[in-house]
Amino acid sequence: MRTIRRLASGSNQRLGRLADEELMELVTAGDAEAFEVVLTRHADAAFSLAYRMCGKRTLAEDITQEAFLAIWRGGGRYDRARGSVRAWTLGIVHNRAADALRHAAVRERRRAPDEDAADELVSRDRTDTQAIDNVAGERVRSALGELPGEQRRVIELAYYGGFTQTEIAEMLGDPLGTVKGRMRLGLLKLRSQLRDWESVGA
Amino acid sequence: MNEQQPHGLCARGDDAAAYVLGALDDPDAFRGHLATCEACRADLAQLRQTADLLAQAVPRTNAPDTMRERILAVVRSEAELLRAAGESSDRPHRPRGRFFGARGSAIAVAVAAAAAALAIALAVRTTAPERISHGAVSPALTGAQISLRQSGSHAELTVSNFPQAPYGKVYEVWLKRASGAPQPTDALFGVTTRGRGAIAVPGGLKGVREVLITSEPAGGSPRPTSAPVARVVLAA
Repeated sequence: MRTIRRLASGSNQRLGRLADEELMELVTAGDAEAFEVVLTRHADAAFSLAYRMCGKRTLAEDITQEAFLAIWRGGGRYDRARGSVRAWTLGIVHNRAADALRHAAVRERRRAPDEDAADELVSRDRTDTQAIDNVAGERVRSALGELPGEQRRVIELAYYGGFTQTEIAEMLGDPLGTVKGRMRLGLLKLRSQLRDWESVGA
Repeated sequence: MNEQQPHGLCARGDDAAAYVLGALDDPDAFRGHLATCEACRADLAQLRQTADLLAQAVPRTNAPDTMRERILAVVRSEAELLRAAGESSDRPHRPRGRFFGARGSAIAVAVAAAAAALAIALAVRTTAPERISHGAVSPALTGAQISLRQSGSHAELTVSNFPQAPYGKVYEVWLKRASGAPQPTDALFGVTTRGRGAIAVPGGLKGVREVLITSEPAGGSPRPTSAPVARVVLAA
């Protein structure tokens, strides 16, 4: 299947050479083949994020599928100013996965609002995932790992776990203001860490 | 601004961080606040990029080919509908041989079905003075049917086996004449739990070539925001 995909994609070299932003203009105009190139470029990253967040393959597939169909149907909403097509796509996946988690949370997760549950949720073992195959991703993971534990935890619970700040405060037994402060400090530290790497070309 | 401190310039000093992480309980309120607070806008701009990177920092898992094929099947069929609806006549039309040659059978079947549906489902049966036109639906709507009954100047659309419109959405009826883009109507509808729905098409159908259905945000839309899910072509 993978071989077929490569051959198929390679046969339309003109589209394959276009930048994401140019492809999105074609997608907006209803070009299904341009969409296919966009899908090929970003499907793995999108599915990986959905799977990381919800931990279930079938749910991750549904989320990814709905996100890409939303992109196909509303491609005109892509705004270059907001960032790359990759970042925009993953933002859509993230929102949908967070929504799905919140719906599920009403039924399940709030039963066990303690720290063990929190740890379990943010560090689930992923035995069927592959080694990280992108350097940038590995860099961010490693920077995340260097954050003080309490900052990393609130960022992971919020971003990957789909919990709101109020839920996180309850879960950890910390004041809301403390939780918010840790989110901000952690993000700023992450930002400067990643910028340092960039500046030394690591 | 000292980056290591909350920006402290307004009471919502830490909200931007929670917002980019998707953790605010009421993000809409913060979005409203952004319109009037330059400090928070600046803060948001510097934090957003970092939060975006978190999305790419997950273990890589290959997307299943079956999912990819399902997505492409829907996209292909909707592109067909769009093209058939005449909105794409000025778009470049690439040869489709690659698609049928290389792609897995599931999509080929889906698209062949779409093409067949478009080719054969447009039969118009005339039963004067009442005329019933059967339409085509997107293959994504398995088993769905649509027909239009005209009697004098009155016209009514009937759908069956239609899925519920997505959450927060409603079906909207559009009229396409010989030239110009499809025009919106006030006809918005939902379907019963058994997938049935009927709605009068306002304004008469003089000069109308096609009646199209799209799924739109509640309250309808002045322009289509998605590809048509169904259409009825009227005999000239």
